[in-house]
Amino acid sequence: MNVLIIEDEKALARELEIFLSNSNYICEVCYDGSSASEKVGVNLYDFILIDLGLPDYDGLDLLKEAKKSNPDAAYVILTARAEINDRIKGLDMGADDYLAKPFSLLELQSRMQAITRRKFGLKNNVIVLGEFSVNLTDRLITHSAAEVSAITKKEFDLIAYLILHKNRTVTRNQLSEHIWGSIINDDYDSNYIDAHIKNIRKKLTAFAPVEWLETVRGLGYKIKINT
Amino acid sequence: MKLRTKLTFFNAISKLVIVTLFVALLPSLIKNINRNYTDSRLRKQRDQVLQTIKQNGIKYYMEDGNSYAGYTPIKDVYVSIDRDTLNEDLDDIKNEVRKVEADTIQYRILSNNFRVDKKNYLLEIGISLDTVNERTGPLQNIAFLVLLVMVILTIAADQLYSDYILRPLGFIIKTKLVGSKFPNFGTYKKVETSTDDFLLLDVSIHQMVQTIESAFQKEREFISNASHELMTPISILQSKIENMFEEEDVADELKVRLLEMQRILNRLKSITKTLLLISQIENDQFLKEDNIRISSLLQEVYDEISIRLQDKNINYEVNIKDDFTLVNVNKFLLFNLLFNLINNAIKYNKESGTISVEAVKENTAYVVKIVDTGIGISSDDLPFIFNRFKKLRQSLQQDSFGLGLPIVKSIAEFHHIKIEVESLKDVGSTFKLVFAGTTIG
Repeated sequence: MNVLIIEDEKALARELEIFLSNSNYICEVCYDGSSASEKVGVNLYDFILIDLGLPDYDGLDLLKEAKKSNPDAAYVILTARAEINDRIKGLDMGADDYLAKPFSLLELQSRMQAITRRKFGLKNNVIVLGEFSVNLTDRLITHSAAEVSAITKKEFDLIAYLILHKNRTVTRNQLSEHIWGSIINDDYDSNYIDAHIKNIRKKLTAFAPVEWLETVRGLGYKIKINT
Repeated sequence: MKLRTKLTFFNAISKLVIVTLFVALLPSLIKNINRNYTDSRLRKQRDQVLQTIKQNGIKYYMEDGNSYAGYTPIKDVYVSIDRDTLNEDLDDIKNEVRKVEADTIQYRILSNNFRVDKKNYLLEIGISLDTVNERTGPLQNIAFLVLLVMVILTIAADQLYSDYILRPLGFIIKTKLVGSKFPNFGTYKKVETSTDDFLLLDVSIHQMVQTIESAFQKEREFISNASHELMTPISILQSKIENMFEEEDVADELKVRLLEMQRILNRLKSITKTLLLISQIENDQFLKEDNIRISSLLQEVYDEISIRLQDKNINYEVNIKDDFTLVNVNKFLLFNLLFNLINNAIKYNKESGTISVEAVKENTAYVVKIVDTGIGISSDDLPFIFNRFKKLRQSLQQDSFGLGLPIVKSIAEFHHIKIEVESLKDVGSTFKLVFAGTTIG
C-alpha cells in the first residue's frame, strides 16, 4: 500500500519511513506543505499521514485539499498540538484517525490496520491460536465452541494487540501505551502488564496450553502464529 | 462589618447621643430662658411704674397713703406699692409665695425700694410661676419633635450620600476582589467615580492583577510551549529506539538496554504529557459537554484499575448511597481525576489494605469520599501535596514524579470541585470531593 508521509521534522519522517517500509508499505516523504500539495495532486495514495504543524501550510487546509484529489485515501493526523479543537476539526474534515506526538510506531501501525479493516470490511477476523480461536470483530475467545468468558476487556485488548503485531516482540512499554495510553497518571514504570498476562495465562490454561503466548525474557511478549 | 454599615451606625448613634443630650438639657435651658425673659418683663414693668410715678406723683397709685395692689383676673400678674418702714435699698427678684384673696400662688417677684417725697416705698411686681411653666412643656415638645424630624432627615440624607459616594467601592469589591476568579480575572472595567481615593484603589488593584495575570500567562505559555517543543524530539527518539528494536542484527542484550532507554524516555514523555495536560486545563482548552452518572464513572475507573487492586490484594469497597448525574463536565478529565486519586490510594496502601469509595449526599452537596488504609500524610507535608514535582519523603520509593495530585487539583478547579484532605500518618488518608451544585443534574 502507498503511504505519503507529510512531516517537517526530517528525523521523524525518516523513522516513520523505515518502520512503514519494514512493514511492507511503499512510502513517499514530504517535508513541507507545498511539495505535499503537488504530490497529492499527481499521485493516488492509500494512506496519507499529515503533521498539522507544517512551516508553510496549515495542516487542516492541506487535509481539505488532499481530500479533493485523493478522496479514497485514509488520513491520519499526527501532531504535537494536542488541542482538542484541532482534533474535532480534523475528524470533522474527514480524517480517519488522530495520533498525538509522541506516539509509538506500533500504535501507528495498529491504527492504520484498523482503518484498513474498517475500509475494506475484512471479514476474516478469526485467528486460530493453538486450540483457541479469537474473533477480533465480536471480541470473543472460544475453545472447542465454548466461549472463554472469564477474559476481561483489558485482557482481550492485550491479546488483540499482540495478534496484530504477531511474531514480533512487543515491549511492556508499547503494550502499556496501548492499554493505558489515554490515562494521564503519575506512574512511569508500571508492571501491571505482567499481572494482566499472568491472568490471561491462568484463565486460558484452564482450557488448554497457551504456548503461543511467549514471554521474551527481559523484553516483552510475543504471540507466535505460524503462517 | 461593612464600611457602609459602620458609617450608618456611627451617624445614627452620634446624632442620637446629641439629640438625647439636648433634650435632657432642654428643661433647664428653657427654665433659664423663661427666667431671663420673666425677669426682663418684670424690670420693664417696674420702669413703667416708676416712670408713671415720676410723672404723675405717687398719688396716681396711692390715694390717702393707702397701699396699692392690682392684679389681673386670673391673678397671673400683680403689682403692689406700699409704704416701707424699713430703711432698706432692695432691688432683687426671687421666687416667693403670696396669698392673693383665697389663692396661694407661687410668684416670681421683683422687689424694689424707692423714695418719693422723702418717704420710702416698696414696689412689688409678681408674675405667677404657673404661667411661666405652662409654656415650658409645649416648648419642649415642639423642640423635641422638630429635632427628631431633623435628625431623621439628616440620617436619611447621610445614608443616601454615603450610599452614593461608597458605590464605587462596593463595585470594586464586588467585581474586582470577590467576583474575579483566580487566576482568570476577566476584563478590566474602569470604575466610574470622582473620588480620587477610589480611582487610585481601582488602578492599583488593576495593576496588581495585571502583574499577576501576566506572570501566570507567562508561566502557562512557557509550560505549554516547552512541552510542545519537547514532544517532537521525544517522538523522534521513541521512533528511533523502536526501529532499532526491530532490527534483526541487534542482539537481545542490546535490546534490553534499548528497553531501558525507552523506559526513561517514557518517563520524560509522561511528565511532558502531564504538564501539557495541566496547561491545557488551565487554558480552558477542554469542553464541558458530557453528562455521566457517578456510579458508571466509578465503574469505568474500577475496570481500569482492578488489576492494580488485585496485584496488591486490596479490599475495594464502593458504596453508592446516593447516585447522582454530573452534567456539563468533561468525562475524560473526571475519569483521570478519580483514577489518580484511587491509584494513589492503591500505591500508598499497604499490602491487603482497604480502600472505600463512597458517593453520598451531605446536607445539600454531593460528595465522593475515597478512604484508604495507607501510609498517610504527616501534617507537616499536608499543605504541599498539591504542589508540582513535590515528592514527599514517604512517596520516594514509589514510581512517581509528583504530578498526580497537581493533575487532580487542576481538574478539580476546572470543574469547581472542592477537595478536602484528612490524613493520619501510618493510619490512612481521606480525600473528599465536594461537587459544585452547577454540575449536578
